[in-house]
Amino acid sequence: MSHNKQNDEENRDGAAAGLPPAAAHHIPSETNELYGRETGGRHLAALLTDLGERNIYDAAAQCNRCGYCETSCPTYMLTGRETLSARGRNQFMRLLLEGKAKSPADAAEALSTCLLCGACSSACYAKVPTPDIVLEGRRTLSGYGNGFLSRAAVKTLLDAPWLFGLWLKLAYLVKRTGLPRLAARLGLYDLLGMPGLADAESAVEKAPLRFAAELLAKDPALRPQGRTSVNWAYFAACGPNYIFTEVALATVRVLRRHAGEGVFIENQCCGLMAHNYGRLNDAREFARRNILRYEELKAVFGDFPLVADCSSCAAFMKSYEQLFTGDEEWRPRAAAFAAAVRDILEIIPAGKIEHAAADKLETAGRITYHDSCRAAHGQGIRVEPREVLKKLAGRRYTELPESDWCCGGAGAFAFTQPELSAAVLDRKLRNIASVQANTVVVGATSCLVQINAGLKAAYPAAKAVHYSVLLDGLTAEPAKRPDNAKIEL
Amino acid sequence: MFKHDRISAIRPELEAIVGADNVRTDEAEILMYSYDAGMARARPEAVVTFTGTGQVAPVIKLLYKEGIPFLPRLAGTNLSGGTIPLKGGVILNLSRLKKIRQIDTLARLALVEPGVVNMELQRALEPFGFFYAPDPASQKVSTIGGNIGENAGGPLCLKYGVTSDNVEKLEVVTPEGEIKTWSYNDPGPDLMSLIVGSEGTLGVVTHAWLKILPLPRHIKTASAAFASLDDAMRAVTRIIGDGIVPRALEAMDSVSLGAALSGKPNPFPRGTEAVLIIELDGADTSKVKKELDDVEKICAANKATAFRVAGDETERELLWAARKGAYPAMARLAPDVLVEDGVVPRPRLPEALRETREILSKYKLTAGLLFHAGDGNLHPNIIFDRRDVQEVKRVKKAGYEILKSCIKLGGTISGEHGIGVEKRVAMNWLYGRDELDFFRRIKAAFDPLSLANPDKILPVAADARAEAAPESLADRASLSPQARGLVDELRLRSRAGEPTAVTGLGTRLKPGRITEGDKKLDLRALAGRVQIDRENLTARAEAGLSLQELRAQLKEAGLNIELPDIKGSVGGLIAAKVWPGIREILLGLEVVTADGTLLELGGRTVKNVAGYDAVKLFCGSMGAYGVIIAATFALSAGARRSAAAYKEPAAWDAFEPDEYHRRLKKALDARNLLNPWIYRNTP
Repeated sequence: MSHNKQNDEENRDGAAAGLPPAAAHHIPSETNELYGRETGGRHLAALLTDLGERNIYDAAAQCNRCGYCETSCPTYMLTGRETLSARGRNQFMRLLLEGKAKSPADAAEALSTCLLCGACSSACYAKVPTPDIVLEGRRTLSGYGNGFLSRAAVKTLLDAPWLFGLWLKLAYLVKRTGLPRLAARLGLYDLLGMPGLADAESAVEKAPLRFAAELLAKDPALRPQGRTSVNWAYFAACGPNYIFTEVALATVRVLRRHAGEGVFIENQCCGLMAHNYGRLNDAREFARRNILRYEELKAVFGDFPLVADCSSCAAFMKSYEQLFTGDEEWRPRAAAFAAAVRDILEIIPAGKIEHAAADKLETAGRITYHDSCRAAHGQGIRVEPREVLKKLAGRRYTELPESDWCCGGAGAFAFTQPELSAAVLDRKLRNIASVQANTVVVGATSCLVQINAGLKAAYPAAKAVHYSVLLDGLTAEPAKRPDNAKIEL
Repeated sequence: MFKHDRISAIRPELEAIVGADNVRTDEAEILMYSYDAGMARARPEAVVTFTGTGQVAPVIKLLYKEGIPFLPRLAGTNLSGGTIPLKGGVILNLSRLKKIRQIDTLARLALVEPGVVNMELQRALEPFGFFYAPDPASQKVSTIGGNIGENAGGPLCLKYGVTSDNVEKLEVVTPEGEIKTWSYNDPGPDLMSLIVGSEGTLGVVTHAWLKILPLPRHIKTASAAFASLDDAMRAVTRIIGDGIVPRALEAMDSVSLGAALSGKPNPFPRGTEAVLIIELDGADTSKVKKELDDVEKICAANKATAFRVAGDETERELLWAARKGAYPAMARLAPDVLVEDGVVPRPRLPEALRETREILSKYKLTAGLLFHAGDGNLHPNIIFDRRDVQEVKRVKKAGYEILKSCIKLGGTISGEHGIGVEKRVAMNWLYGRDELDFFRRIKAAFDPLSLANPDKILPVAADARAEAAPESLADRASLSPQARGLVDELRLRSRAGEPTAVTGLGTRLKPGRITEGDKKLDLRALAGRVQIDRENLTARAEAGLSLQELRAQLKEAGLNIELPDIKGSVGGLIAAKVWPGIREILLGLEVVTADGTLLELGGRTVKNVAGYDAVKLFCGSMGAYGVIIAATFALSAGARRSAAAYKEPAAWDAFEPDEYHRRLKKALDARNLLNPWIYRNTP
């Protein structure tokens, strides 16, 4: 670049100063009675947006309807309907808030079809938090999250996780006896608030009868007792814990291999399920318990990263502060907790990774990476896992076209909106086939279930593998234990 | 109640065409189609989504028969309220019609459906080494159908023309449900170009054949900083005036720059008031290099404080980031951004910018100025909050004043965003009564019941007239005595009902064609000196002037017109359309209609989407729609680019009028007074 007549020193902020302060003005807004000062905790007190703290109305009103999000919204791209688009959902919420739309029930389709993938927020210049706005909207729908089954599931998980586990094992047992239909009819999965499991059975090959938390809790090397410092703490997300036990175990092995010694935090569910069912107070309770547990360890070990291996979970925990925007006591504690959360996808430094052995790579075939929505859009993690995979697999790594197009899993979406979900998945599968990949690396449980179910039926040459599992399989045990240097927070 | 009923009555028929799922009348769907990216709001009665292009015509036919208004809609990103259903009716949702049907690199054409997103097309063309020139800022989401409806531009249109210059052929469903395929190449008046920019008021495009171009082999990007906007604009005028045609010549002021760079290191010197982004392309690297050197010298001569050239793709993106980051940054500063769109002749940009700044400060508004400097197209990005009623009023007033200032400076009220509903009132300020009446006749010829996107583009009674009625065009000082004489003559003949044969110089018109009793109208006397605007690179020539003389006068002035060697007169060149490429250089026309009304169409700016593109309608009109008395052309500086011999099509007048040609003829010359043999058989 040629610099002519240019004085570098004096131009750091020359033109930026030209911006008038009036630009930052903010209009206090009155929201209508639907969202009036309710104290029941059914809604968030404020949203933490990219532009700062906003109430729901201001957050929705920040959308200037430019429409630049539309092509990133999977449901819009598939249906061509404004009603099922990111801009549409935002406008719907705004119209409800302004009283121009009379009944929240009218918004049911628009709100319930949202994948919450957040691709729209990534595309938005003002980063309007559409998924959060949609969730707020869902909470206004009468009966949302109050259905017997979801209430029962969340309550059980909250108050009696052992009972939840027992039911799940019972369901798995029924499945093992070869009577999945019976299980479905018994409504056991529904009872667990995971109607998805009934359909996802084909994707879940070996239903575990021992959950990861039980196994890890028994590992003396992972106990905090007797330690003075740790490099990391492992947070067992529900997916790896209850369904994909091998993911949890792989994550722990990978962490020990590349980040030294750490502990298992013996956590509760992160609360995402309760949150997405519209049961905000329950989600807060999950959060408080996890924060307390974290604080206990922090009192002993000081700062450490809390690593989760499901991107949905990690992203949700990173947003814990938002749950407590109306709560002066818990808000700073939630913020401190959130600051410690790390996704396994971002924590392994590519610098420590070496090219994997040829025979192991042979088995993996052509490797590609699917951006789980809650990693890419929810946490902005795109580069780190790719760098690791490129170092690991070299030329066997190939980019996936439209890698951040949602797979359609999106929690329970696949089961509440089967047709849309299938169409969303179809595009993902086509892209996987287009690069002839054999291994699709993902970072979230729901992607794992969804993509594998799709691949099994449409493109059996490939399968989806969790990032931790691939890393665990491809990286050899190092000759010497890794240095015990702390991971920078 | 009544409104809903008229949909219920035809619902079974609609469902039979598009399927039950694709006819929606529920409250949610209605609400979601009551807004677009502009400010206006109105509710439709139903939304019909198409899954095949073949469904469009039957649905429109049905709606027309039932007298139900309709309008096509795609991404809904337009900025003038074009997709707002002012009279209710049905939204025709074309967004699922998104197949790229054919890419033909040999013929350099792409055949697409209207819902294809501009960027998707670019992505599909890239592997073949081609691109489609129009690149509106919204190209990531906006569709080809929408781009055609609004006649979209973008930075690249300085060199490659706006949408209407890049469309080859269109398949259109007329408001009455007929399927037509029109190309600007067809003999006779150019109906295709009339559709481009008509915002769905004259028909719905179902297939488009687009011109595609090979990707340039070399691209050089540079940025230049200036301590004053005036210096920057002088540099722009010089660059263009020296015969350099950059692929983009963009500018931004310090507010836009500050917003775009906020939080990032500012690469420009302190006190920078304006930045130009200049991009050159070509197949010959040494020529691009030479042009770049020239640009640098011009910038230096106009007191540029910094000039930098991007060394690689990363640096190029960095330079563009300042320009492309400006709108996004403004969008973060407040909930709403009004992107105004005005055009002035390029040399008037400094004045336009000064006046715009004054207007903005008068109304206490914050705006970043962005402009396609090469085309004289300015986009103040005014930020506000729609919930602040007082502020919205100020924004609207300021917007209108900016448009008035553009008109005053010889420009126009829309360069690429369309008129829609939000600029309808401004049409009153730009055009006289006669031009507006002329546009209304075009609309009525296509859509007698006014059901296709009603109440758009043309002012309705509720839109207040301009404070002072514009002077009658026939009284304008610029009109030569000869032209004035001709207007009087046509008025007399119209009164007497005498048919006229417009003969021009008699170059092409075979005397045998003229029907008996037609009184000849010789335009030989209409050959005054060419009025050259050297800075703006435009020239106005009277219709009777021979092309040879036009070229000679331009050459004398050191200028050039990109025109093959064609014989005959200025008027004949346009009316006969022996060279369809005329569309690329013709900016404005002065026309006298059969009843002696003088119309001024188009203007002196390269970009102009205010009203129907009637200028192109007169290309190939063969004197039957009106008598062309003068034309304004875009010139080029420097040497003539191509001087290849041009072979006129022998059968230029082998023209069998389309039904719509006949309808227009009826609307414009009901008594068939002008060149009556052409539409002799019109019933």
